[in-house]
Amino acid sequence: MRNSYWKWAWIPVLALLLFFIGGLSVSAQAGDLIHDEAGLLSGEEAQELEALAEQYGAEQNVDFLFLTTDSTEGQSIEGYMGDFFDDRADSTGREDAVLLTIDIGGREVYLAGFGTAERTLDSERVDLVLDRIIPEMQSGDYAGAFEETVTTSSEYMEYRPGVNPESIFLKTWFHLAIALLLAGIIVGSMLYNAGGRVTTTPGTYVDRDHTRVRSQDDRFRNKTVTRRKIPKNKDGGGFGGGGGMTGGGRSFSGGGRSF
Amino acid sequence: MVIHYKCPNCGADMAFDSDSGHLSCPSCGHEENIETFPEQNIERKFDEGEAKEYHCENCGAIILTEAETTATHCSFCGAPVVLADRLTGNLAPAKVIPFTVSKDEAVEAFKKWTRGGRLTPRGFTSGDRIKKMTGMYVPFWLYDIEGEAHIQAIGTQVRTYQSGDTIYTETNFYDVFREIDLSYLKVPADASEKMDDVLMDKLEPYDYSELKDFRMPYLAGYLAEKYDFDDEQLFSRVESKIVPYIDAYISTTISGYSSVSYTNKQIDAQKKKVYYTLFPVWMVYYDFDNKEHTFAMNGQTGKVVGKPPISAGKVALWFTGIAVSSFAAMKAIAFAIGGVLW
Repeated sequence: MRNSYWKWAWIPVLALLLFFIGGLSVSAQAGDLIHDEAGLLSGEEAQELEALAEQYGAEQNVDFLFLTTDSTEGQSIEGYMGDFFDDRADSTGREDAVLLTIDIGGREVYLAGFGTAERTLDSERVDLVLDRIIPEMQSGDYAGAFEETVTTSSEYMEYRPGVNPESIFLKTWFHLAIALLLAGIIVGSMLYNAGGRVTTTPGTYVDRDHTRVRSQDDRFRNKTVTRRKIPKNKDGGGFGGGGGMTGGGRSFSGGGRSF
Repeated sequence: MVIHYKCPNCGADMAFDSDSGHLSCPSCGHEENIETFPEQNIERKFDEGEAKEYHCENCGAIILTEAETTATHCSFCGAPVVLADRLTGNLAPAKVIPFTVSKDEAVEAFKKWTRGGRLTPRGFTSGDRIKKMTGMYVPFWLYDIEGEAHIQAIGTQVRTYQSGDTIYTETNFYDVFREIDLSYLKVPADASEKMDDVLMDKLEPYDYSELKDFRMPYLAGYLAEKYDFDDEQLFSRVESKIVPYIDAYISTTISGYSSVSYTNKQIDAQKKKVYYTLFPVWMVYYDFDNKEHTFAMNGQTGKVVGKPPISAGKVALWFTGIAVSSFAAMKAIAFAIGGVLW
């Protein structure tokens, strides 16, 4: 009996071990890029985002990181996310990353680019990404906000550093419109001029010796002044633009908003 | 009265030669200066009583003309004739610009023009279906116009500046007065009813340095017409022609404002002098697609005007070509700047 008792004793140990290993592997997968400490995501969402972040991260050669927290423990959100990244980078050695941090307690969001992403996702681009995700943040769709961050940042990172990726001059519809307009104007003027152009000008028949201003007068009459206040930033919640330096000495580009 | 210019050498009928600017004899090649043409070689014949019917002095055939014609060819023997009584008195032109583009040169110039047609059908560009070319002196009135303009306007100068978080837009208003003397010389308007005004306007400008005092021999060998409208009737047309010129001049005299609105613009223009003038025009009758197209060529400068047939296919081709290439060019620039194609 005793013997048989020990015979079966290894089963729960094994089970525990398996569970632990399995749990480890799951948390290594889910916890590597997505750090949902505030519990804003469902398990399914976390898995999907993890896969998405991995896929895009491989393309851009950066880690897309998502950090949520209930409290920044008295620090600024920049400081909090800086400490988090310092820890992670020190332990994994991965320095190139895009990090979206949500402090649900303070209702603030911060997006930062580290390493190569500091250039490819500079503070101007961070601002553009934030513009896009703020509506999702406000409606509580945090998974959507991260997804948008990953896809939009990847798109922006394709562009040469320093270029505004939302510039109208880089839009295909704008190119198309200009091309059609140009062709219309040129062919239109060709059609208009097919029967011969009028080549006389106002100067053709003028007698320059006798066409002149005999007298002129320009008299000040009155003036009006209109004032317009420069509108303040509409969300009122922008901060930390331009990026900064973590406690561990890593510089980053970034920007934050309240929502 | 019918006039023939007889060659002092051989007695044939001489015609104006646009290359030399002289009268030239088609049979012996003899040339005579128009200013010094011997009086005894000008054969004048008055038709008694009947001014509507003219007889060719060579062959006696009746010269068939329209009432406006002042120079033509005898339709029977082809001799150049000038109908002098339609060119004297009230109907005497003051000035003429002689042809400098000969018929051969006109054909060449026209062919060159059709080759340059980028939207015309392929068959048209060969330019080899000229049905008829007629050298014609078209009657014009040239107006010397004198006038003045009184202008009142309000001009604004806008300045924006920023102070603190406020943008100020300061608009200064000025009362603007101008008194302007206007003078335009020899503004032409075509006085022939059958000539299309738009077409004739597009033939301009002519080079006035070759404007000559009128002499009848210039017309020998060409068609010529007399005016249908006198200078009074045409003045309003010339006025409407120069008003845009005057407006353009006025706006150059008011500068330094961001906007100008006219409160009073008074333009008085009178004709100071008019010259009844004949301008040289080659009329080209061209067959294409069973349709006759009429073009006019400035007989002095070779400029061609008229409505050519348009090929829809070529229009589409040009449109697509320009649109596609400019789209590609912009994409290339966008790629060079942004590093992303789409």
